[in-house]
Amino acid sequence: MASLVPLERRRATLEGLRAALSAEHRAASPEAFTLAEEGVVRSGLGTLDAALGGGFPRGVVATLEGPPGSGRSAVAARLLASATAGGGLGALIESPAGAEGSFFPPALAAAGVDLGRLLVVHAPDAAGVARGADILMRSAAFGVVVIPAVVLRAVVWTRLAGLTHRANAVLVAVGAVASDELRYFASLRVRLQPSHVRFAGESGPFCTLAGVGVEAAILKHKRAAPGRRAQFSCATFECAGAPLGALRERTLEPAHADRLRARSGI
Amino acid sequence: MPTVCALVPAYKVAVARLGTAALRERALIVADRLERGHVLALDEAAYALGAREGMTLVQAAACAREAAIAVDDPVRGRALWERALDALDAASPLVEDAGDGCAFLEMRGIAGSAQEWLARVRAAFASDPELARLPLHVALAPNKFVARAAALVRDQNIVHPSEERAFVAPLPLRFLELDRATIERLELFGVTNLRTLAALPHGPFVRRFGPQAARWHALAGGIDGTPLVPRARRLTIDRSLYGEGTAEREDQLLFALRTLVGFVAEDIALLGKRCGALRLHLECEDGECIVLATVLAQPTAQPGTMFDLLRARLEGTILRSPVTGLRLAAERLEEGGAELSLFAGRDPDPEIVGIALARLEAALGPHATLRARVVPGNRFESRVAYEPFTAAEVARSTRAALAPAAPRDSQTGTLAYRMLARRAIEVRLNAGRPISVDARAVLEVAGPWRADEAWWTTALETGGHPIQNDAYDVLLDDGALIRIINDHATWYLCGSYD
Repeated sequence: MASLVPLERRRATLEGLRAALSAEHRAASPEAFTLAEEGVVRSGLGTLDAALGGGFPRGVVATLEGPPGSGRSAVAARLLASATAGGGLGALIESPAGAEGSFFPPALAAAGVDLGRLLVVHAPDAAGVARGADILMRSAAFGVVVIPAVVLRAVVWTRLAGLTHRANAVLVAVGAVASDELRYFASLRVRLQPSHVRFAGESGPFCTLAGVGVEAAILKHKRAAPGRRAQFSCATFECAGAPLGALRERTLEPAHADRLRARSGI
Repeated sequence: MPTVCALVPAYKVAVARLGTAALRERALIVADRLERGHVLALDEAAYALGAREGMTLVQAAACAREAAIAVDDPVRGRALWERALDALDAASPLVEDAGDGCAFLEMRGIAGSAQEWLARVRAAFASDPELARLPLHVALAPNKFVARAAALVRDQNIVHPSEERAFVAPLPLRFLELDRATIERLELFGVTNLRTLAALPHGPFVRRFGPQAARWHALAGGIDGTPLVPRARRLTIDRSLYGEGTAEREDQLLFALRTLVGFVAEDIALLGKRCGALRLHLECEDGECIVLATVLAQPTAQPGTMFDLLRARLEGTILRSPVTGLRLAAERLEEGGAELSLFAGRDPDPEIVGIALARLEAALGPHATLRARVVPGNRFESRVAYEPFTAAEVARSTRAALAPAAPRDSQTGTLAYRMLARRAIEVRLNAGRPISVDARAVLEVAGPWRADEAWWTTALETGGHPIQNDAYDVLLDDGALIRIINDHATWYLCGSYD
């Protein structure tokens, strides 16, 4: 006949087990939330990659959201640099006549993009962007495809997400704000915001724009822990690596951040 | 081995003059392009005025103000020379194409005297009325180098065997087609013509100037042992398919196309070749004939690849009436297989890239797929050039093992710059510096950077547009970083940092 274990003792055992599990889980979580090297495209920005669990995961639609000047194009350029390194191909779909304009190739080259292996597609409208992304993803020959965060129907995003998964590539949508459909189908959402702007030289004719400080927040991540934050800085392509002397920082005050949010709809 | 050289001196100049009668009486400079162009070729009159090959167009125009300027058309020049080579085939069974404007013909075994050979070559060349208007020089010599030198010296020149050394001896060093630096080095040693070069001791000369100097030394003595290389024949496979009815639906057309591609692929395989380009003619019921030309990234004989590429091309084609016939020509037939890399790594398949490019062009237009290139320039807009993105370049470009490595981890990225469609903006100034842009307050201003370009175009009347503006980088109160320019008192937004 089995002896009955007192209730208090059973409760204490259960609490002990819970505590042990919790401690084990906490100890295991850094590794558990780190993606395998071959499963990610690294941006090369240490803090951002760490916050993402290693980099941008392959096979997903990702968004880089933020107002102009927030460094979203800089992150996209780093991803294209990673894609074109080692003999791969990257693609950039843009609408030069649109509000976002077109990337400046010398700045891409300064960010490490091999322009010889970067396909630039000029699409006239959102439908053209979708068709271009569809064709590129169907070919599965491009490791990273950067597109503007245009408004498309859910069925289009479904198809693009499926093709991206099959191609094991990263489809990066860059824009001020993501549409509801894009927010739903994106597996990774990164919001970027400038924290300060750096200038070299005193205010006046000899002043030069040196770069910006960026705060990134992981809004959504289906393969790692969301909610993390990262800070990094971006230098202008003409000042990168150049001796600039003393830098002046112009911190963007909360009022600026409010205006940014109002403009970008975040 | 008696060799005739058929030479059109200053071929690019001659082709440019052929197209425009007004240029015949004027000194002429041929440039690669008008904007930031360089001199490719020029005639003696322009040379006498001070212009030189390799000069920028601005320099040349400043030296030779009276000279006319023409833009080179390499496609037309090549096509014309191909016709010339075809015509010269009538004069000799062995014709070597030595580049635009120069051909060598082997006359061994052909009946007739030296004068008759030259007359025969001239007559063959002049059989085409357009070619007859080109200034042709013909010369006969025992080898290619001496024949070309003889043709350059004068028309109808004949150098007999054993006279080669004496003929080339007084010629200047430029006949060896050396670069300017080498000629200057040789002139420092007192070597100004081929006689003095041939008199140099062979061993020390080769040790001093490298292995290529052995060939210069031989040429200076009138010795050129290089054989004539026959001109490659251009093969084309052309098949057509006409059914009893018409193809009205897409599946019918694709079925017919698949069948036709199969025939062409068989022909290519029978020849043991690979095809580098395809040209499809769609003959419609209303008499319209649509031509779709496509280039394969890597020459192939695979029907599947050819069909996929043609189908991708068809995706962007609108057919207004049923198709009655198809004609498919395989062009650029090449021998040999595709180059494979032992260290391919992530190298993309050029055929897949080629099909994707064809689909993109079909969907978005012929100039939608581009490769960006950085070019020297002062203004941001002038630092960018775009060219068509071709899959063949992907196949030829750096292999994975040699490609640049991924960027290293760092805490600093590179801020991108976005070129925006130029639009006028309202800017308020205080003491000459912007304080608001479209009612948004300016927090900080960097600049100005002045661009003052092409001011000389007005004076020289070369058709350019002078550019004078001031650019500012501006931080607005909402955090936006933009670049604005002041162009003749009007302010424009031209880009943003992102």
